[in-house]
Amino acid sequence: MIEGQAITRTFASRRGMLGHRGVRALRGVDFTIPDRGAVSFIGESGCGKTTLGRILCGLESFDGGDLIIGDQPMAGLKPRQRAPYHRRIQMIHQDPYSALNPTRTIGQILAAPLALRARQLGADRGWLERRRSELLGLVGLDPDYVLPRYPHMLSGGMRQRVVIARALTVDPEVLVADEAVSMIDVSLRLGILQLLRDLRDAVGVSLLFITHDIATARYVGQGGQLYVIYRGSVAEQGDTDTVIQHPAHPYTQCLLSAIPVMRGIELPGPERVVPTGPLDERSEPRGCLFEPRCPFAEEDCAASPPALTQLGGTKQSHACLHPARRSVVAVPAPVGEA
Amino acid sequence: MAGDTGEATLAGPAGPLEHGPDASAAVRVRDLTVSFPTPDGPLPAVAGVSLDLARGQITGLVGESGSGKSTLALTLLGAVPAPGQVASGSVVIDDVGDVLALRRPELRQVRGAKIGYVFQASQNSLNPLKPVGKQLLDVGRSHGVRDVRKLLHSARLLIDEMGLDAERVLASYQHELSGGMRQRVGIVLALVLNAHVLILDEPTTALDTLTQASVLEIVRKVHAERHLTTLVISHDMGVVGDLADRMAVMYAGRIVEEGPTAEVLASPKHPYTRGLLTAMPRITGDVAEARPLPGRVPDLASVPRQGCVFRPRCPLATDICATAEPADTVLGGRRFACHVTAGEAA
Amino acid sequence: MTTTAALTPEQLQRAMRRSRQQTASRWRLFVNTPGRIVSCAILVVFTLMAIGGQYLYPANLPIDPDSIYAPPSLAHPLGTDFEGTDTLALVVTGARYVLLAALIAALIAVFIGTAAGLAAGYYPRLGGSAIMQVTDFVLAIPGFPVLLVLSTIWHFSSVLQMGVALGVFGWGGIARAVRAQTLSLRERGFVEAARGLGLPGGHIIRAEVLPNVAPFIGMNLMLQLTGFIYIEVGLFFLGAVPYSTNNWGVMLNNAVFQANAVTSPRALAYLLSPLICILLITLALVTLANAVDEFFNPRLRRV
Repeated sequence: MIEGQAITRTFASRRGMLGHRGVRALRGVDFTIPDRGAVSFIGESGCGKTTLGRILCGLESFDGGDLIIGDQPMAGLKPRQRAPYHRRIQMIHQDPYSALNPTRTIGQILAAPLALRARQLGADRGWLERRRSELLGLVGLDPDYVLPRYPHMLSGGMRQRVVIARALTVDPEVLVADEAVSMIDVSLRLGILQLLRDLRDAVGVSLLFITHDIATARYVGQGGQLYVIYRGSVAEQGDTDTVIQHPAHPYTQCLLSAIPVMRGIELPGPERVVPTGPLDERSEPRGCLFEPRCPFAEEDCAASPPALTQLGGTKQSHACLHPARRSVVAVPAPVGEA
Repeated sequence: MAGDTGEATLAGPAGPLEHGPDASAAVRVRDLTVSFPTPDGPLPAVAGVSLDLARGQITGLVGESGSGKSTLALTLLGAVPAPGQVASGSVVIDDVGDVLALRRPELRQVRGAKIGYVFQASQNSLNPLKPVGKQLLDVGRSHGVRDVRKLLHSARLLIDEMGLDAERVLASYQHELSGGMRQRVGIVLALVLNAHVLILDEPTTALDTLTQASVLEIVRKVHAERHLTTLVISHDMGVVGDLADRMAVMYAGRIVEEGPTAEVLASPKHPYTRGLLTAMPRITGDVAEARPLPGRVPDLASVPRQGCVFRPRCPLATDICATAEPADTVLGGRRFACHVTAGEAA
Repeated sequence: MTTTAALTPEQLQRAMRRSRQQTASRWRLFVNTPGRIVSCAILVVFTLMAIGGQYLYPANLPIDPDSIYAPPSLAHPLGTDFEGTDTLALVVTGARYVLLAALIAALIAVFIGTAAGLAAGYYPRLGGSAIMQVTDFVLAIPGFPVLLVLSTIWHFSSVLQMGVALGVFGWGGIARAVRAQTLSLRERGFVEAARGLGLPGGHIIRAEVLPNVAPFIGMNLMLQLTGFIYIEVGLFFLGAVPYSTNNWGVMLNNAVFQANAVTSPRALAYLLSPLICILLITLALVTLANAVDEFFNPRLRRV
């Protein structure tokens, strides 16, 4: 199990010193990734969700709070000591092409981490090759076809599967998929999403799915939690389907309202909302971060930032002083209504 | 195959579009074929495409990578990407004539003044070394615009309409603008000379959900206010499904289905359209019913040379699909090309 | 579940054939255009000259006092020099020193420069800046003038000495460029992934970074070769280095200062011969630099 407690991260801006005019990417985020669980981080670009994913993989450090990987807090450890823990969390990047060394064949790409593992287990070359083919089969690729090829000879979907296979070579506990399907053709996305979902059962791995496309989160996040992140803090969290159907925070409602509604098969949600203005990254409101753009803002919203509170009687939490569940997401059109 | 349902008719290349939308469409593409040289000989990226852009309507074109949609879009401008060549066909635009028959100087005048083209925001289609205002002046100068002040004024109005600060935008370089802002600037540059045909190539790809929604809203607004004829090209069926009045689905260089958006989405006739709808991650619909499309997205070399191009991935494929390319079936205001579903009732 | 199952047998066969052809044809990259064929031929000829030229002629070339600065003829295709020695013989035997020294210099420069660049680029925080300061120092040294000064005390009597001197002063550019490439590669997805998978730094530099920098190094090697040839020939031309063996630079020196070849047409062939050789080699190396890039980089190949 992975737990994040009040994780904070500020990037020094090029002009000023740290703290003064720094970019506050994360402002105290709490989250839990249960074993074999599925967690989705939803938000717009710049909200900090990618930074959070990178912190989990050890590619980024954090300034405040703590990250607990399997009961071991990371804050007190030196980078060298943290490495084996972070190895249990593997990243699946957005761009399947730059994630694979273009000068190496797939066989070589997978052999490298497996060779390390083989040495740890005292296994021989035969084990390596068997395991390699096994992993390729697990992600739905034919080893004979794929092993001798270079990355540019494979389609985007196949490359992404190779990336997933490589991540599985170290037997990770968590796969972090950061926009893992956004650069793949539409007809192939579902295949990758279902693969990620099935790996939860097949291999016992948990999934952290980071995306701005909420629809894709539905397919991997079943039975899991959804976190909506706005400007570095959690605006709303809860069961995936509950948050999508009954969002309580105005920002979540704006996000869901913005999803295109397909004529003929969908009708717009009855209570759709839009933000009152664009995002101003340089503003630092004293109160609720979303208040400057919130269509439902009231006077007390600008006074102090709302804490994450639970919606009475449910597992859903939100950071809003005046939450109200609204139906904003598109609904299927009744058959016959064009 | 034909004849069971009173409306369905099998039609040859000249037929379907006379039954279809407004015969006085603003843009008429007929039998367009664009070929690229390959080690195996010239192969078509766009094969025998006929399409009407109905005047005053938004038409959407859906296709994945390799479908030929970008090649088609650029050909409408007369800008076939090298080393491609137009093998046959015509692109007739209302008061311009056949774009493909124009010579270079005439083409330059037509682009911008008659047809506005908006590139993808993430493509570097804005000059990184010049502020936006200067690029605007470039556009004006290259079209022999005398009254520069009036040009700037209309540009400012357009930018204001999009909810941006005109002075700031005109003075900015492209790297100082966000993706959404760059997309909006692209639309301004495309419309500033009052073109009446607007082509948007992947207008919302690489944009966040909220930004995407606001760009779509702007396209809708601008289209209505200026009575444009708009073509939106996207791999995202959701965008086309929301924005377009009519939509066409493209696969392997051919248009496999076309018609009013609501009808095409509510009762898709072509197996690819159906497959795409089932395979698309959507916010509505039963997650358990989603099925991925088998096989790979075809490229130039792997498209079947004989029979239906979709056959390798089609769940309905029969013997005839391997030997004969299906002709268009016309059903009221729609058409689609499939041997098997041609016999289905509307 | 297998995504490839939907490929038809013909598609699979075609794909496999194409992939086999691609791997076999890597070496054909060097001969796939007429320009490249000619360039390869030029390099082969000069390499043979450098290796075997000295065996074709006696150690001391015969002088012929009767035909000093003779024009080209059947017996002397390129004419003769100020002692009556055959110019062609001079060119062939003179190739060895120049080419060998340049090769040694280029290898040394590439070796030191790559090692420094990789280390500085991959470990920017530990020692990276120290390495770069040394590199900047070397870069700042004006190679040619320093060598000129050095030549007063060091006589570069052997090919090896010349090569080492050139190489040791010439690695700065490669180091800087390799460092820049390494720094940017460091942030690429596959290098981050390798770190995250626990692969050791040495492996990453050797197996992940180096193959991606290789095309760049290969190209630089070719271009450095031409640079070193120029410097060498320049040093000899200026008479900065006393010569014990014949080489092209010496020929140029003699041609200009002894034969006044620049002002009189007598010894034109004598002057032009080494110049044309250098020109041909430069052209060949530059033409093949592209092929080297494509050789290492699977993506650039136009198949």
